Amino acid sequence: MRILEVNGLKKVYTTRFGGNKVEALRHVSFSVEEGEYVAIMGESGSGKTTLLNILAALDKPTGGTVLLDGKDLSKIKESGLAAFRRDHLGFVFQDFNLLDTFSLEDNIYLPLVLAGKPFAEMKQRLAPIAEQLGISDILRKYPYEVSGGQKQRTAVARALVTNPRLILADEPTGALDSKATDELLQLFSEINRVGQTLLMVTHSVKAASHAGRVLFIKDGEVFHQLYRGNSTNEELYQKISDTLTMLATGGDKR
Amino acid sequence: MKKWFYPKLAWTGIRKNKKLYTPYILTCVGMVMMFYILSFLSASEILKSIAGGETMQSILGLGSGVIGVFSLIFLFYTNSFLIRRRKKEFGLYNILGMGKWNLARVLLWESLAIAAIALSAGLIAGIVLSKFAELGMVNILQGSVTFSMTIPPEAILQTLVLFAVIFVLILLNTLRQIHLANPIGLLRSENTGDKPPKANWLLALAGAVILGLAYYVAVSIEDPVSALIWFFAAVIMVIVATYLLFIAGSVAVCRILQRKKKYYYKTNHFVSVSSMVYRMKRNGAGLASICILCTMVLVMASATVCLYVGTEDSLRARYPRNISLDTRVSDPALLDSEKIIAVRSLSAKTASANGQEPTNILDYRVAGFPGYVQDGRIETNDSILNSFQLFAYSQVWQIFIVPLDDYNRLMGQNETLAPGEALLFTTKMEKYTKDTIAIGDQAPFKVKKIVSDFSDNGANAMQLIPSMYLFVPNFTETVSSLIETNDQEGNLTDLHWYYGFDLSCSDETQIRIQKQLEQALDQLSLSTEDTIFATQCEGVAQARSRTYSLYGGLFFLGILLGIVFIFAAVLIMYYKQISEGYEDQFRFEIMQKVGMTKKEIRKSINSQILTVFFLPLLTAGIHLVFAFPLIHKLLALFSLTNIKLLILVTVICYLIFALFYVLVYRITSRAYYSIVSGAKEEAV
Repeated sequence: MRILEVNGLKKVYTTRFGGNKVEALRHVSFSVEEGEYVAIMGESGSGKTTLLNILAALDKPTGGTVLLDGKDLSKIKESGLAAFRRDHLGFVFQDFNLLDTFSLEDNIYLPLVLAGKPFAEMKQRLAPIAEQLGISDILRKYPYEVSGGQKQRTAVARALVTNPRLILADEPTGALDSKATDELLQLFSEINRVGQTLLMVTHSVKAASHAGRVLFIKDGEVFHQLYRGNSTNEELYQKISDTLTMLATGGDKR
Repeated sequence: MKKWFYPKLAWTGIRKNKKLYTPYILTCVGMVMMFYILSFLSASEILKSIAGGETMQSILGLGSGVIGVFSLIFLFYTNSFLIRRRKKEFGLYNILGMGKWNLARVLLWESLAIAAIALSAGLIAGIVLSKFAELGMVNILQGSVTFSMTIPPEAILQTLVLFAVIFVLILLNTLRQIHLANPIGLLRSENTGDKPPKANWLLALAGAVILGLAYYVAVSIEDPVSALIWFFAAVIMVIVATYLLFIAGSVAVCRILQRKKKYYYKTNHFVSVSSMVYRMKRNGAGLASICILCTMVLVMASATVCLYVGTEDSLRARYPRNISLDTRVSDPALLDSEKIIAVRSLSAKTASANGQEPTNILDYRVAGFPGYVQDGRIETNDSILNSFQLFAYSQVWQIFIVPLDDYNRLMGQNETLAPGEALLFTTKMEKYTKDTIAIGDQAPFKVKKIVSDFSDNGANAMQLIPSMYLFVPNFTETVSSLIETNDQEGNLTDLHWYYGFDLSCSDETQIRIQKQLEQALDQLSLSTEDTIFATQCEGVAQARSRTYSLYGGLFFLGILLGIVFIFAAVLIMYYKQISEGYEDQFRFEIMQKVGMTKKEIRKSINSQILTVFFLPLLTAGIHLVFAFPLIHKLLALFSLTNIKLLILVTVICYLIFALFYVLVYRITSRAYYSIVSGAKEEAV
């Protein structure tokens, strides 16, 4: 089943002074099947973040449609958007985006509290996830007391706890050291294996090499895509590197 | 181009930080204006020429000193908010290659710009409003109005010098801060990680206990003199308790709420409670200060307004009749002599010579002395009186012995007393509870009845201590033996004949009659070599302008300082909220990403700002309610016992205060919301 369908997405920014137009996304189309693990790669300024913001319904496209579970995001009313985000999407960010006024536990509870779930259910949901992510012992601590890797795992727990249809990850390894990066990517593979659909935006080749499929964006368009097939992570890593080299050295379409 | 580089940079800096600088500049303008008006009034020739104007001017001079000192503290404080917000900008300039000397030049230009705006706008506003203030003062003093406009150069100079000094000090302080910091520190100064505050249960409990005690003291005190003594103790207790409760108590309450899982994990409470813990940790002390400031403003404003509005009451208590003749005599026999008849007819004659007739005549004999009342006995001994302890103050009374006949005649009663019996009347809410009372070593009187009223004689209004009136059947006998015993230890007993009457004419005529009467009495010279018959003449008309200028000055100052302090309090709140808005920006961004709707964010913001804003106001209200009995008793010392007036004035003061508060709250919450939501839109 198709979870996400992006058709001819276009986004044009108009600068505040002078009215110069900047085309962040020109024509982006792709789809994500249930249970897939997709990485979107591209250089800085290629439109990755814009794409993610539109997918998260935090921004509106200039043209084209985004269907999530067959529902057109642009058709959802402003008032319903927040609830929709909460119920269907999970987020993992580069800088964790944990609230420093909450303990880790409360940070994970936040989307559930906003959804109005009773405390007993919240507790029940958290226990297995915390166990899986190895953060059961530090739930009482505050963000400033734990390491980057632990923060990111907390953020993953927060994304998972609502049982979202799709998890959107924006440079999740960007602020982590190599050990924590390995652990997090391992974790992503695991949760993908049990059926969680993942969409990750990154420019780290290593991060992308864990995905099942890699999309390359250049100049606001999907330029190329790679399927894992039967490759190992290392083989995929090599393929991605080659593709990036080709992109950088003039594999221009036109 | 290069020449104007620094001024331009400075001006851009101010413009880009409009949200921060506008209130600051407005504050500066307001303070300059207030100070100018006060120094203008204390130098005004027109005021000086009005009767009582000089009293008023010395009070106002005091007020301008208070405003000056307050301006310094307050502007320093608000400026520190600005600098904290802008440190990042300065850090960036520094990294981009601007030396500290260059930064100093930018800051110098900024200070110059602000000082120029503040001083010019403040002085213009001050000059325009000063005339209105002057008219108001003239009106209070009941003088005649003139419409000439003056601008005394010394007031302008004073204002310029004071604020120039303040601005230089602020600039120096800013430079010091910039100088001490390194660029990375400047860049990061805003994001220092906060530990979650721990609840200090001991302090919270101590706060609650102390507050309870203070309230108990305030409510349980019964007489004005103890009120005066305990007032300061109670004030200090309340201040300490308020600080403890705001700093430790608030965090403790939040912690309790967080422990109640069912309450805490609700959409409405979750974000608000957890943010409040931090907010109270950071702002507890500030909010407590604001609360105390509010309480003081309210007490000051209601007391001064009450005094001013109640001036006539006070005057009447101090001067029971328009003209009073108080005659001190050396011998009881003189109280029934012909000299008294002579004075009576002289009064009537003087009045009728001016076409007036004495009405509402007050005429009685009295023996007065201070006494130390203990175990149903009035100690008249001088040495006991001089060695009494401070806390036995409530046992010291002014004793008045009055013949029963005079009481019956004045009050229109028909009481009869057997020998050895007496009627008793006490003032200033003091009570006498024993059944008998003895004067010195005399046989005790049986208190037949406590009566509820007697004409005042002004002496009570002048003294802190309460008065006790004893109405006795055999006046001469009682008093003679008293004078005899007293003679051995230095005579404390004064024999008086009190005579007063009202006149239905203007103050000028009253003063003229009083003067003529004084002269006529001098010529009569009723005292002889070995007897004293000294008559003193007092008129309310003469005292009226003096009293009005005193109470009016206090009133004016109370209102003015009240306004300044309210302004300060709410402005501090505004800055606190704004600077927190910047810190909260990213939190609400996260919450929105996680799925909080804009409506929920707005609701949460509102509930938090509402709490922060109205907690001090509410607490101030509660303080005021408990302080009320104390204020009431203290005002009784100023012969003001009109409790309805006091309640009315206090409530009105509170309402005006609250109105102003709500206004600023609305402005603040809007600004806060635009900060919190605005930046997010830019970021996307």
